[in-house]
Amino acid sequence: MILDIISAVLILLGGVLSLAAAVGLLRFGDLLSRMHASAKPQVLGLLMVCVAIAIQYPAWSTVTTLAIIISFQLVTIPVATHMVGRAGYRTKHLRRSMLYRDELAEAVDRAEAREVAWERRKGIGTDPNDG
Amino acid sequence: MSQIVLDTLVVAASVLLAASAIIALYRIVRGPSILDRMIATDVVLASIMCGLGGFMALSGRTDLLPVLIVLAMLGFVGSVSVSRYVSKSDSMTPGAEVGSLSEFSNSDWHMPKDSPSATASGTADETEEWPDDVARGISDVSDGPDAITVQGDEEIHPVTVGLDQGTDPGADLSDDEDAGAEFEPDDEGPTAEDPNGADPDVDGEGEGTGPDAGPDDSDDGAHTSPEPDDEGSRR
Repeated sequence: MILDIISAVLILLGGVLSLAAAVGLLRFGDLLSRMHASAKPQVLGLLMVCVAIAIQYPAWSTVTTLAIIISFQLVTIPVATHMVGRAGYRTKHLRRSMLYRDELAEAVDRAEAREVAWERRKGIGTDPNDG
Repeated sequence: MSQIVLDTLVVAASVLLAASAIIALYRIVRGPSILDRMIATDVVLASIMCGLGGFMALSGRTDLLPVLIVLAMLGFVGSVSVSRYVSKSDSMTPGAEVGSLSEFSNSDWHMPKDSPSATASGTADETEEWPDDVARGISDVSDGPDAITVQGDEEIHPVTVGLDQGTDPGADLSDDEDAGAEFEPDDEGPTAEDPNGADPDVDGEGEGTGPDAGPDDSDDGAHTSPEPDDEGSRR
């Protein structure tokens, strides 16, 4: 009975994390802030629920499947969140005024300057060789 | 007694999950951009996964565990594909978010200066914010190639001098390079490229030194080999 209450508390914690993510989605005004809020139940809430299942049914088949689920989430959620943030940065879906520091802009400027310099050097440098 | 506690916990968890799903659905409906909707969809999916896991823990339906795997994979594939094919034309729904979008100035959207909406509704505060956002993206890029081409090959000099005299920061650099262009390639052409490239950057432009340092170094490493060949062929 104690284990039942423990697993119920874990499920409740998963629900609390999910509600926290939803409230963060509702209240935050930026794409990146919402991404920060939404990553909580996807990893930690699901981890708690899976621990609750493992407490209730401690069989090898169940526990290994839960381990597969959790490891899959741990691998894929950062990739998906990175893709969303990258798309948001590239398509200017950010609120620039909410950024304290944009470190990626320096790298983007550097890459663009390098590309422009390379194209200009390639376009101009061929002419004196021909003439 | 313990049964009452258990029931209370389960009911509270289900209420929390339902509330989180409903709030995330609100964000899906009102989300300004498609990426906000995608994040809210992930939260809905996480709520569904938590609820399904709780149902499995309470009722013993552990045969539903593959459904959890499928849901996890669905969330991953969905968010990756949507963020992969999102484009700049997927604009936000205008006026969707009443509270925060009313303070949403045009500078947040990073629109070009010439767009009519920016110039029409641009107030004094936004015109102050514009050069910061635009200068970081555009002026550094335009300053960069001037300093780089000055540093470059000897054969580019007569052409890039004409280009650099049009702009202000490049004029000083091109004059210095003109004076030194007669004897510098013979003395220290292939060996000491770095001091020649580093000094005009520091003197000419203040804030452009950071982005320019990378292309200078990389171009030195990439083009030191063709330079002696061109020099030998010309002279």
